[in-house]
Amino acid sequence: MAVETAAKEVLRMEHITKQFGSVYANRDINFDVRAGEVHTLLGENGAGKSTLMNVLFGLYQPTAGDIYVRGQKVKIDSPSQAVKLGIGMVHQHFMLVEAMTVFENIILGDTRSKGIFIDQNARKKEIMELSQKYGLDADLDQPITELAVGAQQRVEILKALYRGCDVLVLDEPTAALTDQEAEGLFEIMHKLTGEGKSVIFISHKMREVLRISDRVTILRSGQTVETVNIGDVTGEELANKMIGRELKPSQYEKMESDGEAVAVLNHVSYHKNSKHNGLNDVSLTVRRGEVVGIAGVDGNGQSQLAMLLTGNISPEEGSMDLKGSRVARFDPNGFIQENVSHIPEDRNKAGLVGNMSVSDNLVLKTTKDPRFSDANGLHLKKKAIRNYALEMQKKFDIRCSSVDQEARNLSGGNQQKVILARELEASPDLLIAVHPTRGLDIGATRFIHDTVIAQRGSGCGVLLISADFDEILEVSDRILVMFEGKIMGEYSGKNPPIEEISLAMAGK
Amino acid sequence: MKNKGLGALIIVPVLSIIISFLIGCIIIAALGANPADAMRYLWKGAFGNVRNLGTTFSRSTPLIFTTLCACFAYRCGVFNLGGEGQFIIGSILACYIATKSPLTGVPAILLCAVAGAVGGGLWAALAGLLKVYRGQNEMIITIMLNYVATLLMGVVYTNWLRDGSVPQTVAVPDETQLPSFLGLRATIAFPIAILTGIVIFYFLFYTSSGFQLRAVGLNMTAAKVNGFNVKRYLLMSFIVSGAIAGLGGALELLGTQLRLINGFGAGYGFDGVAMALIASLHPLAGILVAIFFAALRVGSTTMQTATGVPTSVSDIIQALVIVFTVAGMAMVKLPEFKSRFARKAQKEA
Amino acid sequence: MGSFISNLILASVRMASPLIFLSLAELYSQRAGLVNIGIEGIAAIGSLTGFLISLITGNPLLGVLAGALAGIAVNMIFAYATISLCAEQIVYGMAINIFAPALAAFIYRVYFGSGSELVQAGLMGSLKSMLGIKSNNFLVNLFLDQTPMVYLAYILIIVTAIYFTRTKSGLNYKAVGEYPKAAATLGINVIGIKYLSCVICGALAGIGGAYLTTCYSKTYVDGNVAGRGFIALAAVIFGRWSSGGVLIACLFFGFCDALQIRLQLVNNTLPYQFFQMIPYVATIVVLAAIGAKKAGPKSSGQPYRKEER
Repeated sequence: MAVETAAKEVLRMEHITKQFGSVYANRDINFDVRAGEVHTLLGENGAGKSTLMNVLFGLYQPTAGDIYVRGQKVKIDSPSQAVKLGIGMVHQHFMLVEAMTVFENIILGDTRSKGIFIDQNARKKEIMELSQKYGLDADLDQPITELAVGAQQRVEILKALYRGCDVLVLDEPTAALTDQEAEGLFEIMHKLTGEGKSVIFISHKMREVLRISDRVTILRSGQTVETVNIGDVTGEELANKMIGRELKPSQYEKMESDGEAVAVLNHVSYHKNSKHNGLNDVSLTVRRGEVVGIAGVDGNGQSQLAMLLTGNISPEEGSMDLKGSRVARFDPNGFIQENVSHIPEDRNKAGLVGNMSVSDNLVLKTTKDPRFSDANGLHLKKKAIRNYALEMQKKFDIRCSSVDQEARNLSGGNQQKVILARELEASPDLLIAVHPTRGLDIGATRFIHDTVIAQRGSGCGVLLISADFDEILEVSDRILVMFEGKIMGEYSGKNPPIEEISLAMAGK
Repeated sequence: MKNKGLGALIIVPVLSIIISFLIGCIIIAALGANPADAMRYLWKGAFGNVRNLGTTFSRSTPLIFTTLCACFAYRCGVFNLGGEGQFIIGSILACYIATKSPLTGVPAILLCAVAGAVGGGLWAALAGLLKVYRGQNEMIITIMLNYVATLLMGVVYTNWLRDGSVPQTVAVPDETQLPSFLGLRATIAFPIAILTGIVIFYFLFYTSSGFQLRAVGLNMTAAKVNGFNVKRYLLMSFIVSGAIAGLGGALELLGTQLRLINGFGAGYGFDGVAMALIASLHPLAGILVAIFFAALRVGSTTMQTATGVPTSVSDIIQALVIVFTVAGMAMVKLPEFKSRFARKAQKEA
Repeated sequence: MGSFISNLILASVRMASPLIFLSLAELYSQRAGLVNIGIEGIAAIGSLTGFLISLITGNPLLGVLAGALAGIAVNMIFAYATISLCAEQIVYGMAINIFAPALAAFIYRVYFGSGSELVQAGLMGSLKSMLGIKSNNFLVNLFLDQTPMVYLAYILIIVTAIYFTRTKSGLNYKAVGEYPKAAATLGINVIGIKYLSCVICGALAGIGGAYLTTCYSKTYVDGNVAGRGFIALAAVIFGRWSSGGVLIACLFFGFCDALQIRLQLVNNTLPYQFFQMIPYVATIVVLAAIGAKKAGPKSSGQPYRKEER
């Protein structure tokens, strides 16, 4: 969109600060939005983008700072207040009630129409008009559970428009979309700005940002770096501003391993026909001394792949070989006994027992080990466990006030280090790492990558599943792409054909 | 950090007890009695002399068993509300063996105890199987089983083992009754209860299986992913907790009640749940809480005789303790509360 | 035999009524995301209050009203603890189950002294007696020989069904139980609706309890709720969290209850306790049979915090 229409400012946030306890999520942020523009908030995970938008939407109260809407100073103390001011938001995790239909979700909380009963016909007509105007097709009577991610997102946008928003916040809207779906979204965004509405687009994907933004505000560790017109910068400059340092090519040497195959999947299927949560005829091999990266948009069967490779589910078709012998029974304990380590997708849910101490979590799998108990588990050696925990705390740089602290009170990075310490001290033959650095800062991410590469060096086979393409490129020796439960292709980690891989991730 | 958490676990129940007693005193005053007098008699009745102390220990014994039953099950995340039914089943089996089998004396007592534990365990296993294999809500099932057990006991004392015209069973023969503990009014069931508590404490906190059982209770998904046999632990927690309650029922019959009669075991299950919660599921603390509750009950009888304040005042106090403790525990966990606490500590430092 | 069956049907309808109140109480609670296993206790206090007020005023309807108010009062403790303090709902429900019956027993003892003489209050009349109809036809009995409370129970079923499926407010209410965070972003007052649900739940559970002493039995005895509060929990699961389903479940459990009473009267070879077991065993069997398909409101049992990171 042209910058001339810039004159009309619809929204301004001044000196916004938001503290959680002693942590600053936002610090003195300035940000403004003009009518008819796409204004991108760019920043890494944890840079404070979502917090800022939650402040704008009345979900958080700012510790300090002011918000102006169309020049008027306002206090937004609830989402409904934000909606009244014409602000709509599509959250990263959709705010859709799955047990209800599209129609019901759109009219939820409706205060515009009078009367006790739901006036189906009138409301539906209204919604259909909106959906035609902006090209947001939706089947109103379908339950949300039956919709694909892209369609759910359209419902979210419709919901916001139905409430009469002028400023639409899209929080990482493309994270779970295929390229094609993302294209569709960009078209919708154009239609919106064409009608004079403004879009706040949150992302850290450079390509998209360059493609659709009018202006970009870069956030880094909770603070504003700069606001720039898109015409004035290159992608490289933006990336540097976002990260605060030069992007470097992978710093790890890529290996080509011909070691023993620790894990082999032969034509494995699981819930074959489920596009999002199944595996369809998957064959792959992980050898000692290599990192195999599984690239792909979230929800294309990666979770099932990880569960299968750790014995949490059994295949419906096909077979698996572990260190040369056929797996007869899929159960997690059997796999652990076979020296398979697992960094699970959800560290709080599956990795740690949050209410247990750091030291308990470190020995979670090994309390029967003679190092930690006598008589095969009949008497725990509390002192030995504690000493071991202190040793691990040092070795893995786990920052906690004491190893007796409950694991749930640790930061994400330190929680992940606890899991890493537990899983890697077993010197595994096979390591399944799922989104190991999700939500972590750069320092912790680097530490985890270093540790994984070190494991590779000691002869472990690593399977890395990540939705973060950069991470895959950084550490993988071989790259496999998953789409709708299928392996779309295999590429070398050395000079990978990025273009080709992106297409494969979109199913082409 | 750890100390602060531990502090709350003790401070909250103690504060709750104090507040509950204050409210109890207000009620007593409102009833026209002198609260100080009432409290004095309450204390006297519970701990005033060796005889009363013995009674308190005796009354606490079944409560300790049902408290331990609840502690054990909840540590594994299993809401066994069926302590009462399991207790009763244990006592029914013990009653049969004590009155019908040719055995008497120690062998009979041992058999009764084992049968009581097995019976209670199996009764709980019914609910356990339904939870583990049918995914059923164990709370409702165990409560329903309580009613069934109570009615079954009714059949026993009104029909099958009825003692003449009175609706109660025949009494346990003298030689099969439990011997007294140190000449007190309590029987050896009391030290057995405490010993059971110590064993459970050791199991939960000093063995690998206990460790894994607690991990299952705190985070089932993580336990499964980390290779624990979750189903086995769930079933085990049902069976062991049921066995504890069943053993309690058997010993209560042989030691104190001697016959099954209307109201036997009534309320012990829920009382156990309440006490376990007040004790934050710690078995040794649970023993103390059970003794405290028993003291309240024993003492309230003396209080009623001396001051005319009805014993049900003590029930109210007990109920208030649980209401305040659970709410207080939740309150100290609130982030708002924590941050206020932290800020205060910062200021003082 | 004919009269056996017609009496059985009449009794089923009657026995289902207290269960309907209690199940609807649980339904309204769970629809707002609160699993309240304390309705057994709330019913006990409602039962006692209903009895006392009906005895004092001589008007059973006033007794029911008082039972509702007492139920609300007790459930506000649950509401504050679970909504504002985020206490675990199951645990707190248990606390209520211990506290409320103790309170009821205490009030009874204080009011009547420790004398064991059974005090009796009058029961609510049926519509038939109010209208002065003499006919003893089965259909007349089925539709007219019922207390106003029975009609209220069935009206509530219909109202609830309409509320949750046809009204805007009902839609918002359900959203709170399904996905409170989403509801909050749409401007729905989550905390308010949760408290409201506790008012409705307390009132209905209190009424359910009061039914027992104003329409069913002339006197109050400790434990007279006899697990109906827990059976109501089962009825909500069995009824798949819908008003109609709850009605079917309650009629089934009411039938079991009626059946056991009838069988006791007919049969005297088996100990009567075996018949009394029927409703409880039926509950277990039904739960085991329907399996574990989780279909309840998604956020049930989970605390809701406004600012969470």
